[in-house]
Amino acid sequence: MVFAQTIANGILLGGLYGLMALGMALVWGVLNIVNLAHGAFIMLGGYAVYYLFTLGGIDPFAALPIAMVAMFAFGYLLQRFVLNLIVRSALLNTLLITFGLDVVLTYLAQLSFSADFRTINPSYAGSNVALLGITIPLARLAAFAVAIGLAAAVWWLLNRVPLGRAIRATSQNLVAARLYGVDPRNLYAITFGIGTALAGAAGGLYGVIAQVTPYIGATLTAKSFVISIIGGLSNPFNVVLAGLVVGLAEAFASFYLGSTYADVVSFGLLVLVLVLRPAKTLRAA
Amino acid sequence: MRRSLAVIGAIALLSGASSLAEAQTNTVTLGAAVQLTGALANTGRYYRDAYQMTIDRINQAGGITVGGKKYTLALKLLDNQSDLNLGVRQYVQLITSDKVNFLLGPFSSNDALNDSSIAEKYEIPMVQGGGASSQIYSRGYKYIFGTLPAAEDYFASTIDMLSKVNPKPQTVALIAADDAFDVSVAKGTREIFKKAGLKVVVDEQYRENSGDFSSILTKIKAAQPDAVFWSGHEPEALNFIRQAKSLNVSPKYVSSFTVGVPTADFRKALGKDAEYAFGMTSWLPDASLKDKWFGDAAAFAKAYKEKFGYDPDYHAASAAADVETFAYAIEKAGTLDPKKVRDAIAAVDFTSLYAHVKYGKNGQIVLPQIVIQIQNGNVLPIYTDKFINQPKYPVPSWDSRN
Repeated sequence: MVFAQTIANGILLGGLYGLMALGMALVWGVLNIVNLAHGAFIMLGGYAVYYLFTLGGIDPFAALPIAMVAMFAFGYLLQRFVLNLIVRSALLNTLLITFGLDVVLTYLAQLSFSADFRTINPSYAGSNVALLGITIPLARLAAFAVAIGLAAAVWWLLNRVPLGRAIRATSQNLVAARLYGVDPRNLYAITFGIGTALAGAAGGLYGVIAQVTPYIGATLTAKSFVISIIGGLSNPFNVVLAGLVVGLAEAFASFYLGSTYADVVSFGLLVLVLVLRPAKTLRAA
Repeated sequence: MRRSLAVIGAIALLSGASSLAEAQTNTVTLGAAVQLTGALANTGRYYRDAYQMTIDRINQAGGITVGGKKYTLALKLLDNQSDLNLGVRQYVQLITSDKVNFLLGPFSSNDALNDSSIAEKYEIPMVQGGGASSQIYSRGYKYIFGTLPAAEDYFASTIDMLSKVNPKPQTVALIAADDAFDVSVAKGTREIFKKAGLKVVVDEQYRENSGDFSSILTKIKAAQPDAVFWSGHEPEALNFIRQAKSLNVSPKYVSSFTVGVPTADFRKALGKDAEYAFGMTSWLPDASLKDKWFGDAAAFAKAYKEKFGYDPDYHAASAAADVETFAYAIEKAGTLDPKKVRDAIAAVDFTSLYAHVKYGKNGQIVLPQIVIQIQNGNVLPIYTDKFINQPKYPVPSWDSRN
């Protein structure tokens, strides 16, 4: 029973991890931008859903699409007018600018929202379902479902819709894509916007399960980074799968070794993956 | 080259002039590096606000008299950004470059543990109200004093109370983080468990700042303890309670937390879920605690809430007591000499809005924790060495609350 519960814990946690990493992997894979401010976007999404819930009375899951649209617009504008300046320059520049963005966003959040913890506490936040002797928290189950749904939506976008084809074409061969009439500035901005929207959704769900403060970004960026590398940057389902793997690994490590080892295991997995299949996971930068 | 020489010369002249100006006004400067931003900022603000308010209040009442001359108190506050190493460097800066007279402490035992080494090295007394770990006081340091009682004893009143209720818990779970404060709490609590004859069925340590307690909660559910004793910091307490609810993990009779319960913010974040939680505080805003500058603790709490917009808790009261310690000690010593003031602090004995302040041999105050419980959204004192109010016990499990 305890074993089954640990598996359930790991899967549910992993689903949310996968969603967090999805936005980062998409942006990294298409624009070759390692977005160190990704965690800050998650944090902003969390605040957006928090304020929609507490001030607007909108249920968090209903508020997710609204927050995603807002975050998309924010990401689009950010990419189009700020990050576009460095999109084809050395990787170090993207790291620098996104790092600076992370610092600015975190401290702006502290000034605007204060360091108080914000929890998104709808009435069903603590409910659970007992299934075959294991307890499944409803909020986490819903987050898992949303994560899978969004991953499917991203896959469908990339593979079945002309826009998605344009995105993939641009990431494969920019010159050829331009010959076909693709405007890279607009396309990059749209992709970044989608990545930011996904981060926003993850943030809203994170606020229901844990709490939102201006400082949650740093750890979540690191987690997303690890999962993006393990899952690869091409297929959204692989990213979610990688999230599940990391979630399960952390759950089992916490249970059998002690929670101090959870991070050891996830970063250890990262090292293992890099050693065993470096060519597949690291695209030519 | 010539222009930069001129700039350097101007700066040197200005700094010389300003230090000359400072020598004219009689000011005693207290310096501190506190968490104003970063993960612990939510508690760091109590120190920033209480230090300033107490200093302002003392100055309003005429300041302090040292050797016949009138002095005002001033505060030099730096933001350590919840970064341990930055805080240490800032204390060095406060002493060597800002040349403050004396030091006030940061929040958290980890920070106090490291920053006090700077105070000891430069032989400037530090009075801190943010760290409870006995590790701070067990190094034979002479220049560190503290107004938070020992972490090891945090659960003592609670365990004492639980020996007097019905049904009495027999098995316990101990969950503590891995920072200085919680390691001390865990160590001391295990001793108290042994003396009380309680059986420890779960003993888990978790990483500070970790978010996920699912594994630990799963273990608790499997072991079914009568009581859960949890130690850590506020964000983690929030996570633990919410996750316990969502995984439907409850001890048979009661849960007790070292932090969070006395703080209004915590109760606001949890809403109904905070109900029945047991915690502890070394201070409640009770009018029986008389104070030279604030009147009493209730008046302090009222003035604090009016000025800053949120209720103070024991962190703020402890910080106020630190400033008052210096006021009493400097006047008693009659000089600003660090060594003499240090001796005066070791000998202070005064009543304040926080408590009766008197430091033990090792520099740490001795105060019992008041056991409190959240009942109907309010914090109620339940027990010190006898019952003050009726506890709601045993605590109903999560699934029987709705």
